[in-house]
Amino acid sequence: MIKISNLSFGYSNKKLLYSDLSLDIKGGNIYGLLGKNGAGKSTLLKNISGTLFPKKGEVIVNGSIPQRRKPSFLNTVYFISEDVTLPPLTLRKYLDLFSVFYPNFNVDELNTFLKELAVSVPAKLSALSFGQQKKFSIAFALACNTQILLMDEPTNGLDIPSKAQFRQLIASVMTDDRIIIISTHQTRDLENLIDQVIIVDDGQLLLNESVNTITERLIFETVSIQPNDNRILYAEKHLKGVSLVRENTSGEDTRINLENLFNGVTSKPQLAKEIFTTNTK
Amino acid sequence: MNDTFNIKRFGWVFKKSVLERPTLMLGLMLVTLVITLLTYAIVQSMAGIAKAQVSAFVFGFLVGGSFMSSSALGYFSSNSSGTSFLMLPASHLEKWLCAVLISGVIYAAIYLGFFRLVDVFFVNNYYQGLDPNSPNYQNLYHSVEVFGFNNEIAKNIFVIFFNISGAMLLGSLYFNKVSYIKVALLVCTLVIFTYFANLLIAGLFFNHIDMAIPFKSIFLKVGSAIGIVDLPEGVNSAISFLISYVIPGTLWLTALIRLKEKEM
Repeated sequence: MIKISNLSFGYSNKKLLYSDLSLDIKGGNIYGLLGKNGAGKSTLLKNISGTLFPKKGEVIVNGSIPQRRKPSFLNTVYFISEDVTLPPLTLRKYLDLFSVFYPNFNVDELNTFLKELAVSVPAKLSALSFGQQKKFSIAFALACNTQILLMDEPTNGLDIPSKAQFRQLIASVMTDDRIIIISTHQTRDLENLIDQVIIVDDGQLLLNESVNTITERLIFETVSIQPNDNRILYAEKHLKGVSLVRENTSGEDTRINLENLFNGVTSKPQLAKEIFTTNTK
Repeated sequence: MNDTFNIKRFGWVFKKSVLERPTLMLGLMLVTLVITLLTYAIVQSMAGIAKAQVSAFVFGFLVGGSFMSSSALGYFSSNSSGTSFLMLPASHLEKWLCAVLISGVIYAAIYLGFFRLVDVFFVNNYYQGLDPNSPNYQNLYHSVEVFGFNNEIAKNIFVIFFNISGAMLLGSLYFNKVSYIKVALLVCTLVIFTYFANLLIAGLFFNHIDMAIPFKSIFLKVGSAIGIVDLPEGVNSAISFLISYVIPGTLWLTALIRLKEKEM
């Protein structure tokens, strides 16, 4: 369980990136953390991992304060940063040096994950391409079996087949007490994977809902003519018609379109808030 | 789980710190030793063995030591390596102790051992090159001996080593990029500023200043006569204690505090 209470954070004291942000993140879920470039996705992950410290407020992760970076906390959290660089070591040496810190590390799982992600390990890990290094880091992080896994733009640098393999792999390792948070600005990479959506923009939490709740309260559809409805969250014209995201008043069940949801929530945050708070009552 | 210090975990961190960057660590050590050897050989051929001993020791020990200290916690030049280091499940104390052990103890021990070997080799070579039948043999023989690590020059070099290494270690936690150059510039600026500030202040009290060594002595020259004004004994001891123990201790310990507060 991650509890963020009244978090204020900024890289300078004059301009805060987050102001009074509160957020609860529960176990057993894969969270998609969506935001524009520079919206503060990585910053939020770093506040959760304890590599950045809140200016005000607090972050509590499973009862621990991340910024203290105690070993008992760190061996339950794995953070994959956006840019990964592996040292010039053999696989054996790498495991020998790094896996010992994670009590639940499983080498058989690592081999399986590497196979699933189609990573063939050369003599030195540093010889892997950027995408391969990223996949190796993902496989290693998953094999560490930490309770919390934070991934910052994990699909950047992955080719199209690897993105699908990544989604399958993440879905396969999910357990009831695990929390996986994946930040991305490439929303399509997370479709069919996440079960919770967090959208941040301008330091504000615009949405934190499950995919089920979102599809209960919103309809994602393509129509030939845009209806005259003031409860339309987002509309985008294309060759086949108009893609719409609108309030679900008929109980219809549609498939979520993360990109349109993101565009809708960030362009009309007030309407999004109304739709979700109204339906909660 | 002991979150402050665990000997097994410390062993893992130490092993990781040494073996994760073998090229950097071994390369640095090797370059330092080669530089020492070359400096010794070149200076000996130009200015004699006594000067070669001091030059090689100062150059090798201080330059190598400063590089080693700067790289011991130098993970922060990239976001990924910095984050990975901070997220490594070990305590700040364990990570810091590893850096201290590598740059302050192991490096120093290896370097001193190597220097002694080189020195013994050159000194023996010097002895063998002397003519035992020469009337000056005894004088020449006794004018050179193996460089002692407990003499005044060595002690001063050790003090400078612990100050510079502490500054480099701390600097690597403040400056993520090219920390070595930034700290070196900072130290040089501080030394130059101190020297000229001292000279300026001394000029307010004395005329005919020939040289002013900060925190130590002022040399006065009138015609061919030279006078030395030393600091009073008590003040001198206090300053010596400050430079030998308080400042390096503060620098090394501040690195631990800074590591705790380090954000990436």
